Amino acid sequence: MPGIRNKAAIVGLHESPLRDAPGIHPFRIMMDSILAALDDAGLHLKDVDGLCIASGDWAEGGAVESVTEFADYAGITPTWFNGTDVGGCSYLVHAGHAAAAIATGMAEVVVIAYAACPRWWPLTTPSFDPFVLPAGPGQYELPYDPTLISAYALMAQRHMADYGTTPAQLAEIAVTFRRHAAENPQAKMRSPLSVEDVLGSTLIASPLRRLDCCLVTDGGGAIVMTSAERARDLRRRPVLLSGFGAAVRRTQISQIPEDLSTPAVISGQRAFAMAGLGPADIDVAQLYDAFTITPLLALEDLGFCPRGEGGAFVSDGNLGIGGALPCNTDGGGMSSNHPGKRGLLALIEGARQLRGDGPGVQVEGAQTALIHGLGGTFCASSTAILTV
Amino acid sequence: MKPVPDNDSAPFWEGLKQGRLLIQRCPSTGRYQWYPRGHSIHDPSATPEWVEAKGTGELFSFTVIHRGNTRRPPYNCAMVRLDEGVIMLSSLRGIDEADMRIGLKLRVDFEPLDEETALPVFRPV
Repeated sequence: MPGIRNKAAIVGLHESPLRDAPGIHPFRIMMDSILAALDDAGLHLKDVDGLCIASGDWAEGGAVESVTEFADYAGITPTWFNGTDVGGCSYLVHAGHAAAAIATGMAEVVVIAYAACPRWWPLTTPSFDPFVLPAGPGQYELPYDPTLISAYALMAQRHMADYGTTPAQLAEIAVTFRRHAAENPQAKMRSPLSVEDVLGSTLIASPLRRLDCCLVTDGGGAIVMTSAERARDLRRRPVLLSGFGAAVRRTQISQIPEDLSTPAVISGQRAFAMAGLGPADIDVAQLYDAFTITPLLALEDLGFCPRGEGGAFVSDGNLGIGGALPCNTDGGGMSSNHPGKRGLLALIEGARQLRGDGPGVQVEGAQTALIHGLGGTFCASSTAILTV
Repeated sequence: MKPVPDNDSAPFWEGLKQGRLLIQRCPSTGRYQWYPRGHSIHDPSATPEWVEAKGTGELFSFTVIHRGNTRRPPYNCAMVRLDEGVIMLSSLRGIDEADMRIGLKLRVDFEPLDEETALPVFRPV
């Protein structure tokens, strides 16, 4: 299934260094990031004919039809665009869809941008978020007041009972990512963190504690994609999109499968098949880390370890530099930044690792990167495999 | 948060007022589904039929929410696997957090949410 393998490349990128951006509208952060990413590529705004954003959720600055709002702000008239919003992995989905558009000639230069400013955002954005709508499928669950973290906590609790996974093993994930963040000058949290710190932090939704949770920061970024052919003539070493997969499955907690598998099983298989690679071929990974249980389940679903063995895998040092699968090298959402839908920032760090210009720790000579995101509470998944 | 019933769900909410937990069964496959829909997820050409659940099940998972933005914590959310095989999100009553165990046998109870609406909750058998 070669599909769009190596048809398109990431040729420019920029991550905003902002973590607290009082008074700065998210559209400004997206626009600044787009211009910086185009400059990185050696391209100009007038070259752009494709736009991907999903900025209609809370603190993202737009409303449901944010694609048109942002085109207005940017002063551009894209002829190919995608506003798919399936939560945190939306921007990985955009990258796959953009590659397909580039491969078929529907678009030539696509920018994908994201920003949010939850730390100062003053409005309760009108939302179509299924987690706050007590009608249709949500009418059976919202009366019990589940919080966003509830679904993760319920899955963590069950994983512990089924497989003996421990809170200390989950804490190892946060500790490892903090160690990476310590080397990243842009990361929000850089002070040393211990397993004991995590286990002693405030209980939010049992068994998950405050330091099992990602940060809430402002921030954003952008990437530029074009054809692999055109990429050869641009300023930066092209990073090829070699594999891509996505899947959506459920929203309601009641529909969580008894084996706790997530759509990552599907998106991962499709991405690996397209790339012609397997888990053992991956040099560095960026796994969405909304909560510590999130990357642990991704490791199992993507095939980096057998089901139920995620706890042992993360506590054996595999996720650190020098480990079997160095992961979240910028510190991830737990320690670098998490404005709300972090998939694009993970994609940026995956590409930086292959270019050798990450802001913090660097996996020397990395040639393959896997970036995996999820949306909602494991409702959507998208997996991208990048190569150089 | 108060639910917004619709045509798919009206029998469920009416049943609760009478102390009955109604779920749906696919007439074609005999399999159950939760939550109520106009079609069977097991055989989309079939129209599901309403049946009264036995009201017993076991605790699939639970979480005690200590920090939240809606009702005053702590309160719990529970995934309950009914004997019919479907999982519902609900909440446990009559049990301390320290006694919550996955696999615990449970029975449904009905709790008023307001004057018009009852909500299914679960207690240890």
